[in-house]
Parts: sequence; structure tokens; C-alpha cells
Amino acid sequence: MPEEQRRVHNRLAVLRAERGLSRKQVADKLGINYQTVGYIERGDYNPSLELALTIAEFFRLPVEAIFSLRPMAPLSAEVFGEPPAEGR
Amino acid sequence: MRRLLVGAALIGYPAAVAALIGLKHIGLNRWIILAVFLVLVLTAAVLVTVGYIYARGRIEGRCARLDERDLALRQQAYALSHRVLAIILIAATAAITIYLTNGNTLRLDANSFWPALMWVVVYIPALPALMLAWIETDQPADA
Repeated sequence: MPEEQRRVHNRLAVLRAERGLSRKQVADKLGINYQTVGYIERGDYNPSLELALTIAEFFRLPVEAIFSLRPMAPLSAEVFGEPPAEGR
Repeated sequence: MRRLLVGAALIGYPAAVAALIGLKHIGLNRWIILAVFLVLVLTAAVLVTVGYIYARGRIEGRCARLDERDLALRQQAYALSHRVLAIILIAATAAITIYLTNGNTLRLDANSFWPALMWVVVYIPALPALMLAWIETDQPADA
């Protein structure tokens, strides 16, 4: 990955854990190597548009729900709103 | 750690040749010179072989399935090896030019030709594989 490449944040690890899938299982379904799944999860590799769309299709989610150019908020916060501030 | 080994593989052979020439000038016992040379050369050979085996499948496309990350990594490895080779050739040319323009002469005989030829034979084929081993980050722990 070139040093200048912008990091693409993703929820791949959360979605995979939520569905109880191993990296190998996801990789086999996507037609990639299981290490690549790990690299994407860790943010060490930005998938191509084609792979990002394939991943979105696999999880049946819009691509922007999985990938973002900005750090992603926890899914629980997005679904249930902002958690109450401390001390309230 | 991987980068350290790749670095050692790259400088191993030139270091062995430099040690051979340097120790000959000192006038050390020839068996000691031979031992030092062999240790350095064998270490370099083992490291180059390990590095080559590590990345051979992806560099030569022998892996059953290369995905887009593997292909991107291979492209980067080839680009980096081209850059490294260009730097080495330019540096070697500059060094020889400076040496010759200072009134020295360079005799091309077996002593100077073989080390250079061996370097080409050993490193040119292995350079892309070594560069791939250099640029690849550690694999994430499986989950």
C-alpha cells in the first residue's frame, strides 16, 4: 500500500463477528485470500471498488455502511443514537 | 525482523566479497579469510533462498489464487526492485567513474568480473521476491 494512500475505515471485523464467520469463510465466499480479509480489517489494505461492492453484496448492506473515509461510529451508537453522557 | 533479514540478504554477498578483499590486504591467514568469506556467503545464500521461497509463489504467479492484494503487492515489489537496481547501477557507475577519473586504472579480470557476475546471477532473479518480503506488513493474527 503506498504511504500516501488515504486510509479507508471499515466495519468488516464487526460484521464478520456478528455473523459468526471466520476470515477463511468470508474469504472463500469473496474469492480472496483469508489474509487479505485480515489486512482489510486492520486497515492495512484498501480494497478495490469491485471488492468493496462484493463485500457489501455479501453482507447485504450498502457499501457506505461498511466502508468510510472517516472513522466509523460504533454500530450501537448509530442504531440507538448517542449514548447518554456520563453522570446523567 | 523480516526487514532485517532481507537487509542482511542484500548486503551479505557484497560484504563477503569486501571482507575477502580487505582481509587479503591485511595479510591474514588464508584459512581464516576463507572461513570468514564462507560464513558470510553461506549466510547470504540461505537468507536469499529463504526470501525467494517466501515470495516466489506470488512473484512468479505460481500461487493457485492471487487476489487483488497479492497482485498489487507484486506490482509494488517489481517497481521497488527496479528502483533499487537503478540506484545500485547508478552508484556503481558513479563510483567507477570517480575512481577512473582520479588517474586510477581498472583491470577487468576474473577477480573483478566473477564477483560482479555472481551478484547479478544471485540478486537479479531474487530481488523482486526480496522486495516483496521487505514491503509486506506482518500478517494479522487469525480470528
